[in-house]
Amino acid sequence: MSNPTHNPSVAAEPLPFDLMKVPGLRRLFHWRHLRTVLQIPLLIVSVAMILDGLLGPSLAPKNLATTLSWVHFRGALVLVLLCAGNFFCLACPFMLVRNVARRIFHPRLNWPQKLRNKWLSVGLFTLILFCYEEFNLWSSPWWTAWLIAGYFSAVLVVDGLFKHASFCKFVCPIGQFNFVASTISPLEVKVRDLEVCDSCGTKDCIRGRRAPGPELVVLQRGCELALFQPLKVGNMDCTFCLDCVHACPHDNIGILSRLPASELMVDPRRSGIGRFSQRKDLAALAIVFSFGALLNAFGMVSPVYALESWLAGILHVNSKAPMLGVLFALFLVLEPAVLLGMAAWLTQIWGGSRRALVPLAVRYTYGLVPLGFGMWLAHYSFHFLTGLYTVVPVTQSAAARLGWNVFGSPRWTLLGIPMRYVQPLEIGFLVLGFAGSLLVIHQLAESDCAERPLRAFAPWAAVALLLWVAAMWMMFQPMDMRGTFLAG
Amino acid sequence: MIREIRLFSWPLGVEGSERCVSAIALGIARTRRSGIFAEFACVAVLLASGCSKPIAPSADVAIEYGISPEPVRVGPAVLTVKLRDAAGAPVAGARVSLEADMSHPGMAPVFRNAREIAPGQYQGALEFAMAGDWVVMIHVTLPDGRTQEREVSVPGVTTN
Repeated sequence: MSNPTHNPSVAAEPLPFDLMKVPGLRRLFHWRHLRTVLQIPLLIVSVAMILDGLLGPSLAPKNLATTLSWVHFRGALVLVLLCAGNFFCLACPFMLVRNVARRIFHPRLNWPQKLRNKWLSVGLFTLILFCYEEFNLWSSPWWTAWLIAGYFSAVLVVDGLFKHASFCKFVCPIGQFNFVASTISPLEVKVRDLEVCDSCGTKDCIRGRRAPGPELVVLQRGCELALFQPLKVGNMDCTFCLDCVHACPHDNIGILSRLPASELMVDPRRSGIGRFSQRKDLAALAIVFSFGALLNAFGMVSPVYALESWLAGILHVNSKAPMLGVLFALFLVLEPAVLLGMAAWLTQIWGGSRRALVPLAVRYTYGLVPLGFGMWLAHYSFHFLTGLYTVVPVTQSAAARLGWNVFGSPRWTLLGIPMRYVQPLEIGFLVLGFAGSLLVIHQLAESDCAERPLRAFAPWAAVALLLWVAAMWMMFQPMDMRGTFLAG
Repeated sequence: MIREIRLFSWPLGVEGSERCVSAIALGIARTRRSGIFAEFACVAVLLASGCSKPIAPSADVAIEYGISPEPVRVGPAVLTVKLRDAAGAPVAGARVSLEADMSHPGMAPVFRNAREIAPGQYQGALEFAMAGDWVVMIHVTLPDGRTQEREVSVPGVTTN
C-alpha cells in the first residue's frame, strides 16, 4: 500500500482520518494498561457466563451464557467490525489469562513449521459451526459454558507451550473470523509515514524493546503475529493489540481510515502473510467464512428441515451428525468447488487469464468475503437488535439468584428493536455486501485481464449474484429454530 | 416436603450439595499440595461432579398438563393444567401462570394467566408466534402461598 508522503503522484490525496489523533484518544491508545483495562470487564463477564451456564437455569433465554454469547457478543462483534475494526481482539479476555499465565510459564517452543498456516484454524472454525448445529449450542447454557471454558483452556495450553501469539495466529477460530471480517473494516493499524520507517534503525515495532543486561527482559513486546509495520498491508492477522504503537519510538503508527475491503482488491506481498493469491489456506478460510455464513443462517429457517428429510430418505440416515456432515460437505465443499471451479474455468476461456485454474479460483475467492460478511451481519445483527434489551432481565435474574436484589425483579418483557425496523437493515447489509463483492471482483478482473475485464468479471459476478439471491431468499423464510432432527 | 440446601446461593438438592461439598474439600486439599494445576483440576471436578444441574425440589403437588392442538403449530394453542395433592385430590384456588419461551435466547416470550375451569383444572391460551423449539413454564402459586414450577418442552412447533 502506498503512502501519501512516499509517492508524489498521490500526494494531493487527503490524509486519512487517524483515530489516534482524536483529542483524548491519543493518550488513551498510548496508555500501556488500556488493553488490560478493556480485558478485565470481559474476563469478569466470561467467568459469570461460565458459572451461570454450568450452575444457572437450563433454559437458554434465562441464562447469561447463552444470551450473551449468541445474542449480544456475536451481534456487537460484527457491528464493531463493520463500523471500526478488530477491537474485540484488542479486548480479548483469553489473552489476559494467557498473559498472567506467562508470568509463571515461559514457553520455549516455536509453533511447528508445518502448522504455520490457516488449515488448522479452518478446521476448527468449521468444527465450531458444526458443533453449533449438532449440540444446539444456542439452546444449551451447559454446552456454551464448556465451550467458553474450553477456549480458555486451549489458550493456556497452546500459548503456555508455544512462543509468540501462536494461538491467535494459527488456532483461534474467533480470531480467524475477525481477521477475515476486518478486511471490510474502515480502520487499520498502519504506519503514518513510511519515510520515518526507512530511517528507523531499531525496528522496535517487530522486535520489541528489551532491558540491557544478560537476561534481556522484555520491556515492550513487538508484534507477536509477525507483522512488520512498514510492510503490513490491511487487517489480516492484526489483533489491534497496539503493541506496535507502544513499541514505535517515533510515534509513527496510527489507526487510520481506508476504503473498506480495499485490501482485497490488491495483491502485494504482505508482511507475515505473503500474497493472498498464493495462500490456498487463506482462500479456504474465506470460503468457510462466505459459504458458512449462508449455511449458518440456512440452519435456522424452515426449508432446512425439508432438505434434511429428503436427504435422510435418499441416504437412509436417521441420526443428526451424519446428516449434518452431508450438509456441511454439500455447502462448504461441493458447492464452492463447483461454483468457483466453473467461474475460474470461464475466466480462463472468456477473459483470457493466463493463470492456472486453482490460483485463479484462489485469487477471486476473496471477492466473496464482503458478501459473506453481509450475511453474517444480517444474521447476527438480527438477533442482536431484536433481543437487545434481553441482557437486562437475564442480568437481573442472575443477580437475584446470588441474593443481590439491587437490579430489581427481572423484566422478562424487555426485548429489543421491533422486527419491522430490523428487517430493512438486514436487507441493507446484504445489498452492501453484494455491492462490495462486485466492486472487489471488478478490481481484480481489471488488474488481471486489462483487455477484457468484463469477461473476467462476469462469471464471478454471477457466483456473487447467485449467493446473494440465496441469502435474500433465506431472509424471507420463516424462522425455525429447532434442535430436533427430522421433527416434521 | 421440599428438601433444599443452598450452596453459594444456588439451590441444590441434598445429593448434589454433598457432591459439591466433597469436591470443594478435595479441591482445597489438593491445591495446598500441588499448586495451580491441582486448582484447575479441582474446579473441573467441582463443575463436572453434579453441580452442573440443580436438582429440583421434590413436589408435594403433582402438576399434569395437556396441550392442544397436537402436534403444536404456529398460532394459538391451549394448555390445560391439573393440580393434585399427595392424596390425588384436585387443588383448587391456585394461581397458575404460563410463560412460553423459544429455545433460542433473545426471542419474544409469551405470558398468559390460566383460569380455573373446574376444581383443580386450569386452562390458558398461548400464541406460538414462530416455528421452532419452545419451552413452556407453568408457574403455580398454591392457596397457602407456596410456589411450584414445571418446565414443559414443546419441540418442533411447525408452520401451518
